[in-house]
Amino acid sequence: MLKEMKYAIATIGLLAATTLQANDNQLELQNNPELWATQLGNYQGNRYSKLDQINRDTINGLRPMWQFSTGVLRGHEGGPLYVGDGRLYIHTPFPNKVFALDLEDQGRIVWTYEPDQDPRVIPVMCCDTVNRGLAYADGRLFLGQANNTLIALDSESGELLWEATNGDHTKGESNTMSPLVVHDKVVMGISGGEFGVRGHMTAYNVESGERVWRGYSNGPDSDVLLDPQKTLMMGKPIGEADLGVSTWPEGEWKRGGGAPWGWVTYDPELDLIYYGSGNPGSWNPEQRTVNGEPADNKWAITVFARDPNTGEVKWVYQKVPFDEWDYDGVNENQLIDVEIDGEQRKGLAIIDRTGFGFLLDRESGELLVAEKFAPETNWASHYDMDTGRPVVNEEFSTFRQGVNVNTTDICPTAMGAKNMQPSAYSPETGLLYAGINRICMNYEPYETEYVAGQPYVGATLTMMPAPVQEGDGNKGRMGSFIAWDPVKGEVVWEIDERFAVWSGALATAGGLAFYGTLEGHVKAVNIDTGEELWSFKTPSGIIGNINTFQHQGKQYLGVLSGVGGWAGIGLAAGLEDPEEGLGAVSAFASLKDYTELGGVLTVFALSDAPDA
Amino acid sequence: MALIKTLRLSLVTGAIGAVLFIGVTTVSAEAEGKEGVGPGDYTVIDGKVDQGTYDGYIAYTRSCMACHGPDGLGSSFAPSLIKRAQQRSFAEFARTIAGGLQIQPGKVMPSFADDEYVLSNIENIYSYMQARGAEEVGRGRPKVIAPDADADKKEIPESTNNKNEESK
Repeated sequence: MLKEMKYAIATIGLLAATTLQANDNQLELQNNPELWATQLGNYQGNRYSKLDQINRDTINGLRPMWQFSTGVLRGHEGGPLYVGDGRLYIHTPFPNKVFALDLEDQGRIVWTYEPDQDPRVIPVMCCDTVNRGLAYADGRLFLGQANNTLIALDSESGELLWEATNGDHTKGESNTMSPLVVHDKVVMGISGGEFGVRGHMTAYNVESGERVWRGYSNGPDSDVLLDPQKTLMMGKPIGEADLGVSTWPEGEWKRGGGAPWGWVTYDPELDLIYYGSGNPGSWNPEQRTVNGEPADNKWAITVFARDPNTGEVKWVYQKVPFDEWDYDGVNENQLIDVEIDGEQRKGLAIIDRTGFGFLLDRESGELLVAEKFAPETNWASHYDMDTGRPVVNEEFSTFRQGVNVNTTDICPTAMGAKNMQPSAYSPETGLLYAGINRICMNYEPYETEYVAGQPYVGATLTMMPAPVQEGDGNKGRMGSFIAWDPVKGEVVWEIDERFAVWSGALATAGGLAFYGTLEGHVKAVNIDTGEELWSFKTPSGIIGNINTFQHQGKQYLGVLSGVGGWAGIGLAAGLEDPEEGLGAVSAFASLKDYTELGGVLTVFALSDAPDA
Repeated sequence: MALIKTLRLSLVTGAIGAVLFIGVTTVSAEAEGKEGVGPGDYTVIDGKVDQGTYDGYIAYTRSCMACHGPDGLGSSFAPSLIKRAQQRSFAEFARTIAGGLQIQPGKVMPSFADDEYVLSNIENIYSYMQARGAEEVGRGRPKVIAPDADADKKEIPESTNNKNEESK
């Protein structure tokens, strides 16, 4: 406790000294390796811990210490926060309960908060009523409720401090994401890409909940908060004004999606936040053409770099102009420093929906690397490194194949070769670690009409396991866990899994990488080889993230299990076998045969570690 | 966000769906004379299905699959409809789709009362589910019986089900 008290005093001192830039508390907390104060471990999104009590030599002594049922059945994403006060803070899917649990007393409930929300928001949540967790700074916990209310709670008492309205569920808006605290602001995006919403990212004052700025993902430059003469695209000013209007058919940008519902990362030195926007409006590409030809639908599926103080856009990179597959571009932007061609670069790495691993320069937004991490990826052959645009394979272009035509065997599926499950990065190995989906799809666009608050999709799709490939270890299984070299653009090792790996990864200085499976296992592997060293089966499938922290000299691992999310919807019944009986033994395995619903927090520690 | 979702059809498409359905019913009723074709009825010949059952598959995949899983098999979000549809009368089935259900906090079946497309396809969805429940139709997108085969009165369907009397 002593160490933490000293630390707390240091923090108070620092706050007093920096009244101008109030609230750099979060930055201070995440610099303490004992804490896990933000969902991704640090602002850079690395999900890396310097703790090494749990390591390759001691891993066999790792045991569950206690478990806690959340009492909620739906998919549990996100994970516990530990900010050094001897408690774990966790959240649940709708109704979005918040619990403060006493880490020193086997999870005794210190306080509970349950918002009062309109259940009519549930039908506008496309992919289960998930929530990716709490944010924290300076004694305040922040929660983005499903019904678009952003709240601040007093972490000591659980008392509600303020609430702010971020959206309207009667127009199809909802929230699943974890807010991020930067300086004296808390930023939050929006969900509803399947309901024709207009995506936005908004900053609120941490003390009052007052709205400071809002930047849209589409529409006029003044709404997007970009300046075509200053905002960069592929390292040069955009030039042309209002592309967020002109790259859409008349008025379609108003229901143009681009919902940023994923993770936000932040570079404290450059003072920029990074996030990706989601799929453009209707899934029927034909309805997003201009004069019958493909149009870029800016700024959907775009990486945004914004000034957190004003919302101003510094650069943009559109990963998929004119989406034809729902390659929702929200995957996390890992901020990593790399050496490329003998030069030190401030990099930004993405293990993307599209099956491509990207590396960008996070100062300028230039594309440096784009290589496939999922070998079955076939919608595009490669990226043109000069224009930054994908070279689309006509055979798998749902626009070229046409409306009411079922385009078959497109890889990856709309779930993406990786979905929201956040990756990890080890500065020691220079590699990214991520759970992967090995699933393909058939996709049939059809004409649909916008009605506020109603689904606005316009495509049906069916999914199947990725085909078995020659010399590929992936024998028709639906997932894997990979180590990815973001500079060379190649997979270093890969572990096959029966189902898509839908949990967040963790990398540690103990030479370990951790992930969870949809069957419910927490697994520890040798970070250099991928060799499995330890596993434990929790009560339900894992779509949450594995977090680690240290309290009174003891390193803990905490994970929420509770199957659900899009994986639970898509895989529960198993997929059709595309090659009926062609050796794909577990290809159409049903998740129902392995797990059932139920939210549980499991806390692990070494059995012979010092007692708390 | 992505998903296997639901959609909502335009009024225009909905109207087309309704017209199509009426067309099929009329044709079948005329062709078969005495036996009307009602909700829950389906025809399977060589693994191929009648147009209505096929439309039921498409409507299911567009509007129901997002929660009830591929091919009616259920998901972690909502139950399988295959056995449920067999246990429910058409009236109950239609009432649930039109009115929705409040099950427990976090479990809600939305009402499709405002969705012309879904409403006009309830009978087709019911037929598709009955065919799935009887294991006459497997997973995936079924093929449609060629119009001429349908018209050929001499061909005896491998399996025809006309069990749903209670629906009026």
